[in-house]
Formats: sequence, C-alpha cells, structure tokens
Amino acid sequence: MTKRAVFWLSISLATFTVSPGHALEKVDFSREVLPVLSNKCFACHGPDAKKKELRLDTREAATSDRGGYRGIDPENLDESEVLLRIHDADDPMPPVDAEKQLTPEERQLLDTWVRQGGEYAAHWAFVPPKKAETHSTVDGFVRHRLQAHGADFAPEADRPTLARRLALTLTGLPPEPQVLAAFLAEEDSEDAYAALVETLLASPRFGEHQARYWLDAVRYGDTHGLHLDNRRGIYPYRDWVVRAFNENLPFDQFVTWQVAGDLLPDPTLAQLVATGYVRMNPTTSEGGVLPEEFQAKNNFDRTETLGTVFLGMTMSCARCHTHKYDPIKQSEYYELLAFFNSTAENPLDGNKYDYGPVINAPADQAAWGEWQTLESEARELVKESGRDWRAALMALAAEGEPAAEALKARLEGLEAQATTTLVARELDKARETKLLARGEYQSPTGEVLEPAVPSVMGAWTEAMPRDRLGLARWLTSRENPLVARVLINRVWQRVFGEGLVRTPEDFGVQGEHPTHPDLLDWLAVEWQDRGWDLKHMIRLMVHSRAFKQDSARRADLSDPPNRLLGRGPSYRLDAEVLRDVALWASHLLDPHMGGEGVKPYQPAGMWLAMAHPASNTKKYERDPVELLYRRSLYVYWKRTSPHPMMTLFDAPSRESSCVRRSRSSTSLQSLALLNETQRVETARKLAERLVKGRDTASQRLEMLFRLLACRPPSPPESAACLSLLETMLERYEQDAAAAEGLLDTGEAPRDASLAAAEVAAWTQVAITVLASDLTLLMY
Amino acid sequence: MPTMNASSLLREHDLNMTRRQLFGRSALGVGTAAMAQMLGQDSLLAGGARPEVGMHHEAKAKRVIYLFMSGGPSHHDLWDFKPKMQAMFGQDMPEHIRDGQRITGMTSGQKTLPVCPSKYAFSKVDNHQDGVWVSELLPYTAKVVKELCVVRSTFTEAINHDPAITYIQTGSQIPGRPSLGAWLSYGLGSTNENLPGYVVMHAQSSFAEQSLFGRLWGSGFLPSDHQGVLMRSQGDAVLYLNNPAGVTRRDRRAQLDALMALNQAQHERFADPEILSRIKQHEMAYRMQMSVPELMDLSQESEQTFELYGEEARKPGTFAACCLNARRLAERGVRNIQIFHRGWDAHNNLPKEHESQCRDIDQGSAALIMDLKQRGLLKDTLVVWGGEFGRTAYCQGNLTHKNYGRDHHPRCFTVWMAGGGVKPGITYGHTDDYGYNIADADGNPLFPQPTKEHWVPGTMHIHDLNATILHLLGIDHRKLTYRYQGRDFRLTDVHGHVMHDLLV
Repeated sequence: MTKRAVFWLSISLATFTVSPGHALEKVDFSREVLPVLSNKCFACHGPDAKKKELRLDTREAATSDRGGYRGIDPENLDESEVLLRIHDADDPMPPVDAEKQLTPEERQLLDTWVRQGGEYAAHWAFVPPKKAETHSTVDGFVRHRLQAHGADFAPEADRPTLARRLALTLTGLPPEPQVLAAFLAEEDSEDAYAALVETLLASPRFGEHQARYWLDAVRYGDTHGLHLDNRRGIYPYRDWVVRAFNENLPFDQFVTWQVAGDLLPDPTLAQLVATGYVRMNPTTSEGGVLPEEFQAKNNFDRTETLGTVFLGMTMSCARCHTHKYDPIKQSEYYELLAFFNSTAENPLDGNKYDYGPVINAPADQAAWGEWQTLESEARELVKESGRDWRAALMALAAEGEPAAEALKARLEGLEAQATTTLVARELDKARETKLLARGEYQSPTGEVLEPAVPSVMGAWTEAMPRDRLGLARWLTSRENPLVARVLINRVWQRVFGEGLVRTPEDFGVQGEHPTHPDLLDWLAVEWQDRGWDLKHMIRLMVHSRAFKQDSARRADLSDPPNRLLGRGPSYRLDAEVLRDVALWASHLLDPHMGGEGVKPYQPAGMWLAMAHPASNTKKYERDPVELLYRRSLYVYWKRTSPHPMMTLFDAPSRESSCVRRSRSSTSLQSLALLNETQRVETARKLAERLVKGRDTASQRLEMLFRLLACRPPSPPESAACLSLLETMLERYEQDAAAAEGLLDTGEAPRDASLAAAEVAAWTQVAITVLASDLTLLMY
Repeated sequence: MPTMNASSLLREHDLNMTRRQLFGRSALGVGTAAMAQMLGQDSLLAGGARPEVGMHHEAKAKRVIYLFMSGGPSHHDLWDFKPKMQAMFGQDMPEHIRDGQRITGMTSGQKTLPVCPSKYAFSKVDNHQDGVWVSELLPYTAKVVKELCVVRSTFTEAINHDPAITYIQTGSQIPGRPSLGAWLSYGLGSTNENLPGYVVMHAQSSFAEQSLFGRLWGSGFLPSDHQGVLMRSQGDAVLYLNNPAGVTRRDRRAQLDALMALNQAQHERFADPEILSRIKQHEMAYRMQMSVPELMDLSQESEQTFELYGEEARKPGTFAACCLNARRLAERGVRNIQIFHRGWDAHNNLPKEHESQCRDIDQGSAALIMDLKQRGLLKDTLVVWGGEFGRTAYCQGNLTHKNYGRDHHPRCFTVWMAGGGVKPGITYGHTDDYGYNIADADGNPLFPQPTKEHWVPGTMHIHDLNATILHLLGIDHRKLTYRYQGRDFRLTDVHGHVMHDLLV
C-alpha cells in the first residue's frame, strides 16, 4: 500500500473512534459499550463463559461478589475489577496474548462507562420497536439528523433522473418512453410523480423485480445444490413469490404461508406452494451418505436461514456452543431447530426432480391465473360441504351436478398441464430433537427438546401451537422485536441502496447500529399498523425527499458512505437489471411470466468441466430462440455453477442465504459488458431500433439516451458518441465482412432492409453507452 | 492511458481514496481489501508499518500453486507403503483397527471388509532423511522427492465427496464460506495489473467422476471479486476475453475512448469515486486482452520445457499443460493458482483408473517442481498436492490380486508440499500397519485418534494444512478474518495449528 493510502486510512479511522472530548458525556451502553464488550471480552466473559469465569454480559453477573471483588463494584466504582484490569500493566485484560486487544479509545470508553455507574441496557434490537413521537414522516427523521450535522437535504434530482430512479427501483427497468413523456409533460410535478409511482407499483414488472431479492434471501435455485446438483422442480414457488408481491399480499401472511402454509386450515394451492420455502435447502443423494447426517445438516441450514431471513442473525455459533456474543443458548438453537425436525421429506433427495412431498402446481403465471379463478369458483360451489374443496367438488361432480362437472373438467385440464413443486408436510409423529454436542450429528445429548424460540427474541404465547404455524405466528406477532425491523430494513435497502442497519444479516450485538434508529422503529411499527401493507411502505419511501434528492456528492457535506442520507441513492445496478435493461432497450425483452428456468447463451463447456457424469445438469443446452429473451429472474439457476453473467456481477450462488450482495468492479465485468453474445445481440437490435426510429444521427443519439438515461445527451457525451459513430461508419463501410460478422452475433433475426455498415456502427455506439456508467449505475 | 485528461483524473482518484473504496478490489497491491476491513473495525494496525510482503509476518512464499486431486487419491497405492498387509490379503479387517470409524453407505452393507494390499511395487527413494517409499505409479514424482515434504498423517472428518471437498477448500462442510483461494486473494491482493490475481484451471481426466463446484473457488460472503477466475482450455481462455466478430483491437480502443468520455461526464456530474475505479478496470481489461493470449502462447517455450513436462503439455487442458501454465502465471506475478484434476474416486476399478490418473499428473507435477527450481522460483513458491480424503485399507466390491476398489477414508491420507519455506526431502507422520489410523513412530495406532480440537504432534488436520498454507504466505490464520453475521469468520473456523515441524 502506498504511504498516501495509509495516511488516508488513518484520517478516516479518526472519525470512527471515540474522541477524548466526547468521553465525558454519558455513554450509551447499547450503542457504544456493548459492541466493545462483545467483540473484545465476551469470548471469555460472555454468555458462554466457563463456569468459574467472571461474566460481563449482564449487570447481575458483573456486580456479583467474587470473594472480595466485583467486576463492577457499585459501592466503590473505582475499585471495580474491570477498571483495574484494563489499566493493569502487569496483569492486563484482555491478556497480552489475546487475539483481540482494546484500543486506547475503547479502554477509555470502558473506563468512563464504569465510572459513570456501569449501567446495562438491553441490546436495542431485542427491545420491541415503538414509534417515537418526535416525527411522523421519513423526512422528519432524516432531516433531524442532517440538521444536527448542520446540513439539510440536497436539492431534488432533475425530473428525468427521478423518473429513471423510480422506475428502476420499483420495476428494475427504465420507464417506458410514453410513460416518461407523460410524466415530463405534466405541469404539476407532484401529481405526475404520484401517478408514476402508482403506474409502476401496478406493473407486473414490480413483482418480478421485488421477488428477486427475496429469492436471494431464501436461496432459491433450480437444482438441488449438492453433489450431482440435479434438477429440482420448485419454480412454482418462484412464480408464487412474484404473484404475492404483485398482489401485495400482506407481509405477515407472506411469511406465514411460507413457513407454515400447509398447517393452515384447508390450505389453498398458493399456501401450499409457498411452503417451498421450507424445502429450499440444498440437498444431496451422494452415494454412501448417511441419512442421519443430512437430516442434521438440512436442519442446520433451515434453522440458520430462518435466522438470517427473519431474525437478522444466523445463530450458527449456537450450533456448537452457547453464543459468544448474543444471548442465545445452545439448547435454544436446537429448540428452534425442532420446528423443522418434523417435516416428512427424506433427508436425501434421491437426485429426483420431484423430490417429495410434491404437489401439482401451475406451470406459469397464466396458468396460475386460471387455476386461482377455478379454485375460488369451486370453493364457492362446495362451501357448505365442510370438506376439502377438491374432494367435495369430485363428489358433487360424481353426483352429476352440472356446475361441478364443468369445474371438474376444467380442473383436470389444468392438472394435465401442471408441473410439480416441492412442498412441506408434517410427519404424523415428529422426530426426536436433542442438543448435538459440538454440532455433531452423532452426539445427541441430554433431554428431548420441544420446539421453542430463543427467549431474548420475544415471548411465546401459550396459545400458539408448537409447530411451524406457531413459529409463524410468533415471527409476525407485535411482540417480536426483530422480524418487522429486519424485513423493513431490507425494503429500505432495496429502495436506498443501503439499509438503515448496514449489516442486514446481523442485528445482533456485533452488527452495526442503525444510522437512524428511530426511523427504523417507526417504519417497523407503521408497517404493522398498516396491516403489513408493503406497497404502502414503499410509497412512503419513494415519496420522501430523502429518496428524491440529487445523488451527487456534496461539497458542503463530507459523508462518503452517505450515512446521513444527505444525497440520493447511487450504486451499481444488479446483474439481472443490467441484462434486463439491455433486452428492454432493444425491444427483445419477452414479457412472458413464470415457468421453468430458461437457458440463454453461455460459453460452451462450463457445466461439463465440473459436473458429475451422472448429473442431469452436466450439459448446458441453450434454449430455442423464443426463450432467450426472458427476464433474468427466469434464467436457470444451477447452484454449483450459476450463469456467469450473473456471478460476474455479484449474484450469489444461492447455496446459502444472501441478504446483501457485494458490488464489485472488475476487469472481467468490462470484458463481459463489451463481448458477451447477448450484450452484442441486444446492442445490434437496439441499433436497428434507432436507425429505423429516427432519421438523423443526433436524433438517434437522443433516442438512445432517452431510453437509457431518460434525458438527451450533454454536448461532451454527444461529441464522444458521434466521434465513435463516425470512426465506426468509416470502418464498416470499408469492411463489409466485419460489419456482417458483428451483425451475425446472436440468434435474433436481422432487419436486412437496413444498411449493414450503419447498423454495425450504431451497434458499437449502443454497446458502449450500454456499458457506460450512465446505464450501469443507479443515480 | 489514452489521454492526459484521463490520467490526471486517475491521479485525482488515488488522492481521493476513500475507506469505502478500499472495501472493494483495488490495484493498490498486497491485501488492501483485508487491511481495510480490519482497519475499519480496529485501529490497532493503523500506525504500524506493514511488511512489504506478508500481512502479519514475513512471508516465506510469495505465491502458491495448489494441485488438487479431486475424488480422493489412494494413499495405499501411491505413498503409504504397507508391506504387512500382503500377508493379510482378503482377511477381514480387525475390529480394533476399525475402531468404530463410521463408514459410508457404499461399504457398510458389505459382509466383510477384506484387507486389500496394494498391487504396486514401492521403492525407497533417497530424500534428506532416511528415504521415502514411492509407488511405481509415480516414477517422475519419485525423482523430485528431495524437494517434497510428504505428510502421511493428514486427516479430516468428512467421509463423502461434497462435504469433504467443501471442507478442505472452505473450512466448512456446509456451503456458504469463502474458499481458500478467495481468502488468499482477500489477504494477498494481486501484484499483476494485467492478469487476474487468483486463477483456477480444470485439467482433463479420463475418469472425470465427481463434481466440482463453483464454491470451491467462490468468494462466499467475501466481496465477489475475490472469486477465482477460470482459465479455460476451451473457447475464451478467460470468459468473454475476445472481442466479438467484426471488432478489432483498434475498434475496441475507439470504444473505450468514448466510454471513458461518457464516464468522465458522469463523474463530473456525480463525483462518485466508483466511476473512476471502473475506468481503471476497463483499461485493465483492455490490457488483459493482450496479456492473456501472451500467457497462453507456448510457442516461445523451449524444447527442453516440453521434454520436461512431456508432449502432453502441448495439448491445451491436459494436466501437464495446466502445470506449464501455472509456471508461466507464477513468473508473471500471479500469486494464487489452483489446478483441479478429477477422477480419483476409485471405488471399483482402482488399478485401471489410478494408472491413468497417475499418467495424467505424474510428469507434470514433477516437471513443475523441477522447472520452478531451475528458474529460482521454487524457494518462494509453495506447491501443494493432495485430495479431500484417502481411501480404505479394505476392498470395496470384489477383491482379486489384479483388481480392487477402495472406499473413502478420512482418518489418514497423504498430502505433499514443496518449496516456499517447507522443509525439503522429509516425510512426516505415521500410519498403522493397515494405513488405517494415524500411528506413532512404531506404527502403533493412536487411540483415541486425534481430533481437530487438539493438535497432536505428527498429525495434520485439514485446518492445520490450511493454517500452514496461510502462514507460509505471511498470513496468521487467526487474524485473517471477515466480519459476517456478527462473527469474525476465518478459513480455519476456530481450529488450525501451523505445522512448524514442516517449516524451514
């Protein structure tokens, strides 16, 4: 590293540590002290301390008499052992050989804390949220904090930028040209913005885009994930998630159906399909594996994913021992695991597509629509029967009831075209769950454990059944301190680019404190007050000034990570969005919704080089041309080798839960953006669109920029593009073969009526603009 | 840089280095990303000078080449000579030797577990101690044993491929953790701006059973630019390296100049430093389009090179060609290279399969050692050879003197290391007369067998191997951590012991 970089690092560090002048103010235990104790002391003095060790994780333990001394001595604070030892040169704490040492600032902080009385407070995330009375809008909270730093919001972004930002945020695509034109033409900008919000929220593209984040979290894939990594039939779950977002299913139900839809009374098709969530863990059927080993591993995976997705902590530490940092006992981990140790599937998948239990389910969104209409008609018809609707319908049809016969015929028609999907089902008798010593499946110890939840995360009401349905009720209860916060934080993250808690996977003691704690709590409570209405919450966010402000760095506010939210969102768009935007701009995007994952272009041999010879996903066979242009949400997800255009741009493998993607910038991305077959194909179809749609170069360029940036090009941008155009025109006019070669890339048919050199030159301009930051970035 | 404007822009970019950017990949050199995260959490290192090479201490090795034998090579037939087993041919394995070890479902149903001695001749070859027994299957490797540190007491807990290979490559049997290579990328960074810092190759095999998984070189929860870059023998050597039809290098230059201007305009408007970082990456990609073909072009290699590696090395994708590429990568400053060779999972026809497998890898691995040595690179290049577990002393399926098979065996297997600070020409660790348990120097099995919890002299758990690899590269495996889900994760979980006994 250069000296300069070290210098900059030290500067930035200074702003992250406690300055001495600040130390005399009353320290905030939960925000300042607990993270230090947890990170530097709890490994030995925390919830998992050895029996004789001093514990510092509760005040009761810290102040207890240890034979003449106390960790914290309330009677004589100066004599507290904590104080003495952190300053003791001969016998210091942490010991000299400890891996983690206190910084001088941290030592000072602990000193101040003890001298101020050594008071404890619960970790913020374990206290149920309440609405602060200070503010009642997103902007109120955000402005308050900005003003405390002598600043205010940035000006609003210009309207074209705002339209692009809004459309990309809600639907993952830029606004359609006519929608953009209508928005820009409207004089009352508030009304026009509100109308645009509603148009986008009502678009089917909304659900597709929002679903994607959820699929990362639950690790959705089209293959089993381990060993042979064979095909798995569970895409109806993905399609159901899209529907749920589009229909704005209240989020408590969205959660409940997934965790326990099968345990609801007389469950609907959708409620059963949703339980695919429980079956989403990677599985194996490797020759010779031991079922009991994978029963345990599958359970670990489901327990820890539940933790990451809903509770904001994995709890994987507690698999092997009582948690070092967070107050979760090892036994509590296994009690939580017990909720999943009663599902009926074989722990080994048999390498089967229809790894049971499975049910018949609609094979795409159109079929879903028909199926749901039929189901509601049938339920209406047989509602008096008190039986399972399907059985009742069949009985009625057998009696010759004409309406029932008609419905039966329709049902059979639909079922004939159905596919299967993995669902959860309970065993009649649950497996016994015991604590596994050191997390080893061969070492069950102690009593049989009943399903239960970690006590620190909110009370269990005895009326709740001790099964997954009870678990779902607990997750969505008002008393649960974590779930609403964790989930709304991720909604905020997808609207603003970063969460209010910037470690969305960790709300525990070791995680980051919220940048705006009162706002997070207000949102969490507001959501529940509004019946878990997600679209309502998104409206609140996108209508805020915080969202609408200009995203340029500010000279008057130094805040590179934007923790104060003094500028609008800005980040590189996700892999799927980059592909979808290119398909959309070129008019190739296929609006078909749902169905089996599709296989667009992929370099030859990628799967074969890795796959087991017996795997049914060893060969990547590109789909026929009509399936090449679906939205990226539908691209086939082989978990041991996802599509390279996804992984190169930070998509996770979906072998484990991901609630925040990294956003890297690499040279391999540059190569992919400019060379990959579909990128070139979309660029040449976009070029055709420009050449056909407008007459002059400047008009065409304006169209290109309107599509991708929602605005015309600036003079320097125009100059750069027109100069490239000129160079390329000259080149392709002289080298027809080169133009033909470029225009032969990809399967989409060429418009032969257009001049090849012209289209080829525009292809080069289009692919360049598509690869530039005005397309790649949210801003 | 194409224009003055751009280069002044990039200078400004360096001046404006922000902490946030450091979290991403950067061309600043060694271990920047790892340093940044640690500094972000902990100012301990802020004032301290860092060794130029080596994150935590002086590095003995500047780079690592890992020859991974996927499927589990048979230590019985390659490295662990057990003459006493000959007399036990076909007899049931003694119960006390099996010692309650769980065995896979593939052989747990067999009526007997017949002792299966190797059919291959072993000869004792001089090293720097009292010699090492090497099987006739590895005639070339036998010639370089004076450079090798042969560890016969490597062990794991996993008994099936997917968990075992995931374990040795990521430190966890359950997917989701960063790979060894990604940890190294995170810790070491890259010293070559024209080639990827972490390169993975898949060598061809006639018995390519057992799958490989992206997770074996994936970045897990580390930033995804630490994932391994596949260097392929089919199509583009690096994904999407070549321009599409009808686009020349000159055309690309023109495109990049336009792209640069567009991004500059974007930067002037938004002042986002990420934009400048991406401009750098576009330029690096452009250079890579030259440097990768240059790397893959073997036409300047001498005849002696091909004598050393064998004619196979001329065929792209063979193990020998991958070894030669590894040397060329090492010469060009790539610090983190892995070759995966599949097909070692010999359940039924071990002789036929292992003979072919050894033909694939023997000359290439030996040539790599010799070649690195003669170029003065071996002293600071660590070479590691091994698989995810060993194979059983008993036969799976039909046992004859000509043919047999072996199941997976976690309790002991052989791994060798060479160069980069490892003691040359030694062997380490013992197994019992059945090659079944780790044993003391007299061949008496250690009961209970060692566990990952407590290191026992003479043994090497896979976490110990990984701790040692990191150590040689100047990294303390306990300190290379990444905070995820509230925990400071590391490659070796909460285990791992640096094998000081093996170090120079």
